[in-house]
Amino acid sequence: MSEPLVRPITVLIAAMGGEGGGVLTDWVVKAAEHAGLLVQSTSIPGVAQRTGATTYYVEIFPIPISELDGREPVFALYPSAGDVDLMIASELLEAGRAIQNGYVSPDRTVLIASTHRVYTIGERSDMADGRLDEGPVRRAAQELSRRALLSDFKRAADKAGSVMNAVLLGALAATSVLPMVKQDSFVAAIRAGGKAIASNLTGFEAGFQLAMSAKGQEVPTQSLVRPKVSSRVERLINEVKDDPVPVREIIEHGVRRLESYQDLSYARLYLTRVSRVRAVDTTHDKSLTQEAARQLALRMAYEDVVRVAQLKTARERMDRVRAEIKAVPGEPVRVTEFLKPGIEEICSLLPGAIARPLLRWAENRNLTEKLHIGLALKTSSVTGFLAMWLLARLRPIRRLGYRFREEQLMIDAWLHQVCVGAQRAPELAREIISCARLIKGYGETHRRGYKNYERIQETLIAPALDGDMPFGDAADAIEKAVAAALDNPDGSALGDVLLGTADASKPAVAHAAE
Amino acid sequence: MERSFKKEVAQLRLGEGEIFSGEGILAVTKALLQSGVSYIGGYQGAPVSHLLDVMVDSSELLDELGVHLETPTNEAAAAAMLAASINYPMRGAVTWKSVVGTNVASDALSNLSSAGVIGGAMIVIGEDYGEGASIIQERSHAFAMKSSMCLLDPRPNLTSIVDTVEKGFELSEASNMPVMLQLRIRACHISGRFAARDNRPPLISRNQLLSEPDFNIDRFCLPPSTYLQEKHKIEYRLPAAERFVTENKLNEVFDGDLSDIGIITLGGLYNGVVRALERVGLSDIYGASRVPIYVMNVAYPVVPKELEEFCLGKKSVLVVEEGYPDYIEQAVHVALRKADVQTRVLGKQVLPKVGEYTADVVLGGVEKFLELEASGNLTASLPSSAITHSNALKARAAELLGTPIPPRPPSFCTGCPERPVFSAMKIVEKELGPTHIAADVGCHTFSALPPFNLGNTMVGYGLGLASSAGVGPNFGKRVISIMGDGGFWHNGISSGVASANFNKHDSILVIMKNGYSSATGWQFLPSSKGNRFGGETGMSIENALKGLGIKWVRTVRTYNVSKMAKTLRQAVTETKKGLKVIIADGECQLARQRRLRPLLKKRLDSGRRVIRTRFGIDDDLCTGDHSCIRMSGCPSLTIKPNPDPLRTDPVAHVNNECVGCGLCGEVAHAAALCPSFYRAEIVQNPNIWDRLLDSWRQALIGALQGLVRA
Repeated sequence: MSEPLVRPITVLIAAMGGEGGGVLTDWVVKAAEHAGLLVQSTSIPGVAQRTGATTYYVEIFPIPISELDGREPVFALYPSAGDVDLMIASELLEAGRAIQNGYVSPDRTVLIASTHRVYTIGERSDMADGRLDEGPVRRAAQELSRRALLSDFKRAADKAGSVMNAVLLGALAATSVLPMVKQDSFVAAIRAGGKAIASNLTGFEAGFQLAMSAKGQEVPTQSLVRPKVSSRVERLINEVKDDPVPVREIIEHGVRRLESYQDLSYARLYLTRVSRVRAVDTTHDKSLTQEAARQLALRMAYEDVVRVAQLKTARERMDRVRAEIKAVPGEPVRVTEFLKPGIEEICSLLPGAIARPLLRWAENRNLTEKLHIGLALKTSSVTGFLAMWLLARLRPIRRLGYRFREEQLMIDAWLHQVCVGAQRAPELAREIISCARLIKGYGETHRRGYKNYERIQETLIAPALDGDMPFGDAADAIEKAVAAALDNPDGSALGDVLLGTADASKPAVAHAAE
Repeated sequence: MERSFKKEVAQLRLGEGEIFSGEGILAVTKALLQSGVSYIGGYQGAPVSHLLDVMVDSSELLDELGVHLETPTNEAAAAAMLAASINYPMRGAVTWKSVVGTNVASDALSNLSSAGVIGGAMIVIGEDYGEGASIIQERSHAFAMKSSMCLLDPRPNLTSIVDTVEKGFELSEASNMPVMLQLRIRACHISGRFAARDNRPPLISRNQLLSEPDFNIDRFCLPPSTYLQEKHKIEYRLPAAERFVTENKLNEVFDGDLSDIGIITLGGLYNGVVRALERVGLSDIYGASRVPIYVMNVAYPVVPKELEEFCLGKKSVLVVEEGYPDYIEQAVHVALRKADVQTRVLGKQVLPKVGEYTADVVLGGVEKFLELEASGNLTASLPSSAITHSNALKARAAELLGTPIPPRPPSFCTGCPERPVFSAMKIVEKELGPTHIAADVGCHTFSALPPFNLGNTMVGYGLGLASSAGVGPNFGKRVISIMGDGGFWHNGISSGVASANFNKHDSILVIMKNGYSSATGWQFLPSSKGNRFGGETGMSIENALKGLGIKWVRTVRTYNVSKMAKTLRQAVTETKKGLKVIIADGECQLARQRRLRPLLKKRLDSGRRVIRTRFGIDDDLCTGDHSCIRMSGCPSLTIKPNPDPLRTDPVAHVNNECVGCGLCGEVAHAAALCPSFYRAEIVQNPNIWDRLLDSWRQALIGALQGLVRA
């Protein structure tokens, strides 16, 4: 053991099943072999090959076989925490997992990670926003690695018309963590793979350049183009020019949204309602007004069949669809919509005198969820489009419909509570405003959300405003209740929370009564 | 089978001195041919599927050598093949995933090892233990002990593995014992190289047929022979095996200058031990360790004499074996006690009792052992603790990350035909309330994970229906069992369907018919459209059920969620008693894509018309509730930041991996979810008519759009 300490160079690749991590590993192995080096890879495909998280581990011995005199290093089959030279993660969360497991260390590890997100099932199925905060992962990546190359390799691959593992291989080749494996060995490995050689080489080159220039900056998501609006709307928007910029921006969006949703006078009603909140908003940055204006716009633009028809027949829509599905110019695209209007949707447009008995009848017979017409409508055909277009033209009669009135009553009731709350304590008003998050969607989703909202309103908001509960406690309780309502669809979590706070608040109530 | 292993097949032909370069399990495949096997069989399962897959593609080579290849319907049948080596001096090998496969095979294995073999019989088991495993966590070791089979556990490098296979056959013949060769997951998947030897055509083979049957009642498992066989096992075979192991140096001793301590390790864990020693400064990278190491490439039988010799003069030794019970540690204790050697034996007291022996686990154990047992001079000279460093690193990472990284469990693939069945079950569950669901082994087991969370028990392959036999009659609702087509042919047809009908069960069975043994790599099944000989199998699940007298059978295309839900509803509410079978019919989407993609590409390249279908979501209509995701969980149905400045919750989004299976539309429809979904059909290479129709439509639609608010 007198010769200088030579150890294998260790490479850990974290990927998801089906992403090509195995191919990337093979390329690394083949490149090392091409360079005349001993190399070993292992993997644990198992069930992870079905979209789960998995890893591939490679050890490369830096002394060429020709200089080893028949000696062979004992390669390890497992990566060790703090003993990884090169960590590759095909996605940001997987980089986070590698960091968590100790595979990224400041003295050793060069980290190459794609910053795009493939959301986990937990993040995806959340009823509101369950996405992991990316900040800590990025900060940990910078602090705990010797060098971090964080970039959206997925986008780079798409841009190069290649696949991500080829781009990652290029970046790997450029980092010079494997100095003894020259670029031509990697190229040879790709060629030896024998599949999609041209596009893989393009991807390799893109990754190589990306790492060499080490720019890795991410392109910001495209900003939204402001829609053209009539001068009357502009005049309306001008009325709120004294609000702080963030508040004004929200209100502007709200005004535009509601003008296109219904008409100018509906947009004006929106402004009037916003001003009710503004009048009682004591926050220095008018943040209550801002949040109320945001939620109010969404509540007023509630989803109904007319709205669906409006958006589905909008002029910009087809361009958006074509971009989304990557249709090449000149390729005809046929679009089928899946609609299932039920008795509630139909009744929403009928006057209350007809709608109410109908809905009652349906509910008594347990038919509300059964009376649906399943439609598969081709909006790319003239007749299908015409049907949808005609439906969108029903906009004026929406005002006469049963649901319109109901919604306005509910909105006013909510707004009233917001305003009363604002006079009591801003944090209470803020939580009352946030309850509007629960009311969204169509059909069953909407019913469920509304029911949850009502439960919170009755159990927490009303008692709080009546002074039966300390404001601070009430605000906390509402926040918890909203989180619980968004925790699971069957409402059991909300039930538990409401039961808990009702019990907890009882002595307080009794005390107050004394 | 949809995949081709041409490259791998070519390597199986390598001759003396040529360098084989590839995966561990393929090295075993080559080693079998070098050992002159007459027959090979097995049942697919990670991590050993490749052995069979490659053999299936090597029919030409096998024909030349005269080797028979069998792909039986379960491990019991595969094990029973080894009976050929009881009477005839022919070598044979079978393979499966263990411990589960060994469980299934154990009846045949017990009888086989009682009779004993005269031709070398080898069972290659992929020990599915630790990270990446898909099964219950147990050691296969006990099977070798209880049935008196040898258990080989070679050092994980290709040369050692190949040599062990070849020596293993000799060991089997020298001892008349069947031999199990155990390879852990990572060892099956290591890449490496070894110098090949020529393939050996077997002396008895399809090309060299037997002519006389061997009758010998001593080899037949029937009393009184069985008593003689038991005696023979203990008095002759085990000692013979031990002798062979010692004479052929199958176990290895690596000497070191720190002769008062030592490490006893199973071969499969040797590399981890050396790396741990290297990290604490007691070994070089080539395995020249200062601590003596005794490597047990033969895990059973242990050779007491060798243990005694290794331990003699040592103050203490560390036993490194993965999993529980600690058979080796116990054996070492017994051997030393009997020989009255006073060496201290440490094992599971410094290493964990359960779980995989990863790098950090072995490192921690070795450091602890040295701390306790090495001389003070030595420990003082060692570099600072690597495991402390590693733990500090993880602690700092946890601190920086704040919250733990969420898990990413496996799930159904994009477009999987099994997903819609569970979407339908969710819909029916909502209407009629939940019932007990007896799950089975296969991709469909993922139903128990989010977003479906469906499945109450899972007790083994093909046993879905059988496992409902106790709970069904005691449950207030008709219970549902799941079974894959793989499980059906594996044993479910008998232990499930026949037994349920025989006992007049009143329950529901859903058979997932995706056409292959998909989870293990798309091997053919008796009900597959084709077979490995390029013809048809002539068997079907429907005919089998008919033959078993099942009256209530419905075949439903899985993607038709409404129909699937309707059929499930019928099965639940049907007044007539009896077993109701729903065959959920839909080809494995991965296999389908693998088959279709090249065809489509060819069509596209030749300028012919192709319609590409996929789904999409209108951002401005999605309200961010994600009900659709909870009903599906398709990887291509994901989320993205909300482009609407007024909304904050992310919107649902269909990414470009969508294969247009249609589930999104079906679920939106069947569950009356949301109108934001659309199906888009892109006409590639459109013909004149397509273009004309499209421009006419564009013109009219444009005109209508122009009418409003010009």
